[in-house]
Amino acid sequence: MKARPSLMERCLAVPSRIYRARTAYLFLLPGLVLFVLFLIYPMAYSLRISFYDWNVIKPLKSEFVGLDNYKALLADPIFRRAVLNTLAYTAITVPAQMILALAVAILLDQRIRGKTFFRVAYYLPVITSWVIVTLIFEYLFNSQAGLINYLLRDLLGLVGEPIRWLADPILTMVPINLLGIWKGVGWSAIILLAALQAIPAELLEAAAIDGADPWRRLQHVTLPLLRPTLVFLLVVLVIGGLNLYISVLLMTNGGQPLDLTHSVLTLMYKETFDRLNFGGGAAISYLLTAFVFVVSLVQIRLLRQRVEQ
Amino acid sequence: MFLSTERSWVQQAVVYGLLIMGLVIVVVPFLLMISTSLKPQQYTFEYPPRLIPSEVSFTNYVQAMGKDLFFRYFLNSLLVAVLTTATTLLISSMLAYAFARLDFPGKEPLFYLFLVGMMIPPVTLIIPQFLVVKALKLYDSYAGLVIVYVAMSLAMQTFLLRGFFEGIPGELEDAVRIDGGSPWTIFWRLILPLSRPGLATVTIFTFLYSWDEFPWAHVAIKETTRRTLPIAIALFQNQHLTQWGQVFAASIVALLPVVLVFALFQRHFIRGIATTGMKG
Amino acid sequence: MKRKEWTVVMMSSLLIVGLVLASCGPTPTSAPEPTAPSQAVEEPTKAPSPTEAPAKETVTYWHTMSDAEVEAMEEVIAMFEAEHPNIQVEMTRYAYDDFKSALLTSLAGGEGPDTARLDIIWVPEFAELEALVALDEAMPDFDQIAANTFPGPLATNHWQGHYYGLPQDTNTQVLLWNKDLFDAAGISAPPATMEEFAEVACTLSKGEEQYGYAMGGTYFWAPAPIFYSMGGKVVDDGITTADGFINGPESVAAFQMLTDLYNDGCLSPNLLGGGIGTADGHATGLYAMIVDGPWMVDIYKADYPDFEVNFAPIPTGPDGTTSSVVGGENIVVFDGSEHQEAAMEWTRFLLTEEAQLKMAERGVIPVLSTVIGDPSLPDYFGVFLEQLKTAQARVPHPKWGDMDGAINNAYQRMLRGEQTVQEALDQAAQEINALLAE
Repeated sequence: MKARPSLMERCLAVPSRIYRARTAYLFLLPGLVLFVLFLIYPMAYSLRISFYDWNVIKPLKSEFVGLDNYKALLADPIFRRAVLNTLAYTAITVPAQMILALAVAILLDQRIRGKTFFRVAYYLPVITSWVIVTLIFEYLFNSQAGLINYLLRDLLGLVGEPIRWLADPILTMVPINLLGIWKGVGWSAIILLAALQAIPAELLEAAAIDGADPWRRLQHVTLPLLRPTLVFLLVVLVIGGLNLYISVLLMTNGGQPLDLTHSVLTLMYKETFDRLNFGGGAAISYLLTAFVFVVSLVQIRLLRQRVEQ
Repeated sequence: MFLSTERSWVQQAVVYGLLIMGLVIVVVPFLLMISTSLKPQQYTFEYPPRLIPSEVSFTNYVQAMGKDLFFRYFLNSLLVAVLTTATTLLISSMLAYAFARLDFPGKEPLFYLFLVGMMIPPVTLIIPQFLVVKALKLYDSYAGLVIVYVAMSLAMQTFLLRGFFEGIPGELEDAVRIDGGSPWTIFWRLILPLSRPGLATVTIFTFLYSWDEFPWAHVAIKETTRRTLPIAIALFQNQHLTQWGQVFAASIVALLPVVLVFALFQRHFIRGIATTGMKG
Repeated sequence: MKRKEWTVVMMSSLLIVGLVLASCGPTPTSAPEPTAPSQAVEEPTKAPSPTEAPAKETVTYWHTMSDAEVEAMEEVIAMFEAEHPNIQVEMTRYAYDDFKSALLTSLAGGEGPDTARLDIIWVPEFAELEALVALDEAMPDFDQIAANTFPGPLATNHWQGHYYGLPQDTNTQVLLWNKDLFDAAGISAPPATMEEFAEVACTLSKGEEQYGYAMGGTYFWAPAPIFYSMGGKVVDDGITTADGFINGPESVAAFQMLTDLYNDGCLSPNLLGGGIGTADGHATGLYAMIVDGPWMVDIYKADYPDFEVNFAPIPTGPDGTTSSVVGGENIVVFDGSEHQEAAMEWTRFLLTEEAQLKMAERGVIPVLSTVIGDPSLPDYFGVFLEQLKTAQARVPHPKWGDMDGAINNAYQRMLRGEQTVQEALDQAAQEINALLAE
């Protein structure tokens, strides 16, 4: 390779490179315009108001408070609890979704009849909106007349008293986590199914001929080939987990009881639209976005290196 | 894959057995929903709960659909979803093509910027987005809904399509270029037609997103006749009482189009995922 | 190396562009507002008849009314438009749970409505944000109109020396008792005093199959009728302190009674969340008594047509008097409205006897003292109107939401046995005082 041009040379070359790339920029233009208008500008706006005690009706009267919103947040036990809830949810639902999805994908990849039926059925939770799914689970876990308590108590005799799921700050996490897993498995399963179908059959046959049983084939042939997909899923599912919102908002009525069941985003909603603390709400959303960004970056860096081997 | 060429009936039984067990877990909540939608309110909380209603009644469906312009909301949702999907397909494929095939300064950083866009929780951006839509005079219009939905979908869909386009052999394009074709010709006449699976993927994801979206739809549209379906469903929850039967009836009606779209596109969809950037 | 430099350059320039846009952003939208109120003050010298502009004006009106109420309101609008051919009223319904956020977002974007039917507890908050027009200044006939309304509901519009709205409808909660369950237990009449109430609640409780009393939750609205009836108070009259009031002897006695009922299994555990709602439970014979408002008549008619609802006043407290909590909605005019005169016309109309009586047909209790005794009012209004004579308003303060939260949490802690009633209310008093001090 020839010697790399200096910074100045590269800067001077920019204008002509831009000119030559004008077609590319034309392709990019509509998308970029939308992106700047509806994502970049709002992000910048959000950042700005997070430094103020923001009056949403008369913005001019907003008072600059610097980092106060952020400081107040980090000291707030309710915020810390919300972070804990969100992290726990992510730590539980992501592995569960991935493992179950892998199992389902492997099963769906077999030569069976009714493939379309099974695929659509397993994908049903994915295409149902969060609102509807949350309502269903609220109904299922109703402490006095819900199906779950009926099963546990009257049919299986496992508990003596009806479990008051939504009345307990920790027990509430059970329907919420189950909901998350139930809703997400299909999505990952379909993606893994596609990836599985892309694995050349010859590789597996060769392994089988070499005497490898199904488990070893899974471990040494399938999983390594699935790694990029698994990494992708991990990153996306973690982002989804950290963005936990609607199910908690509806099921816990915004953090009930005692503000102990908040997720980071429901707390943001409460601060912004209930307590009219727009600056504080913006601070929360910034912290979350920053955290998600860092976590995703770390995951990609760490796991990508191993993929390239 | 597991079974390779042998097909012992034990293995078959195990596979079907497991699939059906999983199916039950997946499907029971829906059965519950259907069953409740067929019960009048007084049986909603009957104990012990019955999956099969003691008296099947369609009043919930009649009331839900006769209520408040339900079908109007349904059609609005359909219109918005179709427009959003079509626009997203066009714009994100243009973006993806630029990233996959064209070279320009700032390509990688720009792509990373788009990825960051996938990480922003949408609900946090509502107020500034409202300000922009209002400045563009699109408040209370279908366009106002669509334009934000498209913007929010771009990051993910561009990412998917980029991976897909990168999988198309370069020689095909070279052939067109040699014949004097511009990048636009390549894009429109070569890349897009070859990308059906990828486009099917984008279609399903975008349609789904637009169909179910609530927070933005709730503030961006004021005129009652222009509202979308999720709002209609939310309005069944009274301050004082939740009309479970009607909520579920409406939800089931709302589910049908998406199930249809998925069933129609799923084969392309799965093939599409196999060749999109989801593999890295 | 090259990649990183570019990344940094691109990211920072885009961020700068965005920040610049953001800094220009809010200012232009807030400019148009200040001029509107001054115009409104000049107009009053003209004769009471409305509408300045010859062209047709539209007044927007946002609300969270139920289906039945909406039907009646459509007729009210028709009557209004007949009298005011130059004004059109356009109403939009929002989901109750999301109304506040929709309102705030729209107001932030300068697309708020001209008028809205706001829950009475939100008026001080919005007034504090300077979102509302002070009607006592803007409407020359304000005093006349206000004089005809009930003082309780009117007071909920008051903040820092001005009235930022007018009452549109009012309501209160009374006791609902399930006659079938009472008959089965041989009790002929609903309890008249709190002691009887506690007794009856326990007599009518049978394990999990039946509860004598149930509440919708632990938010203040739920225990409020019993709380006020037993002489409880949240803060002093001047709204300066909660100490000695929310944790005063009467308040403690009220919460103690409820906590005891809960511990004895006479108060259904659904109030802690996740159980069967009070409305459903009452109609299906699970809860013998609940407290709720006049809307239950229409709700039961629609969803439980075979159920006959029975109302009774809230049982009397230790000093022999009954009380309850005032609810309702106020009509407000937004400061950013460009049709303030027409909006105020609409407001006036909502407070006329015809409008109030039309809404009364659907269970909406009027706020005009002049319509009491009107034969067209539904029969069941009697018990509510009687109760309204002694019902009390919650604290009219912008931070009421947080105060409610403090009391809510205190109630939760008592029920869960984490604190005694006195301890929990002492903590609530501290928290409320902190809010008052802000």
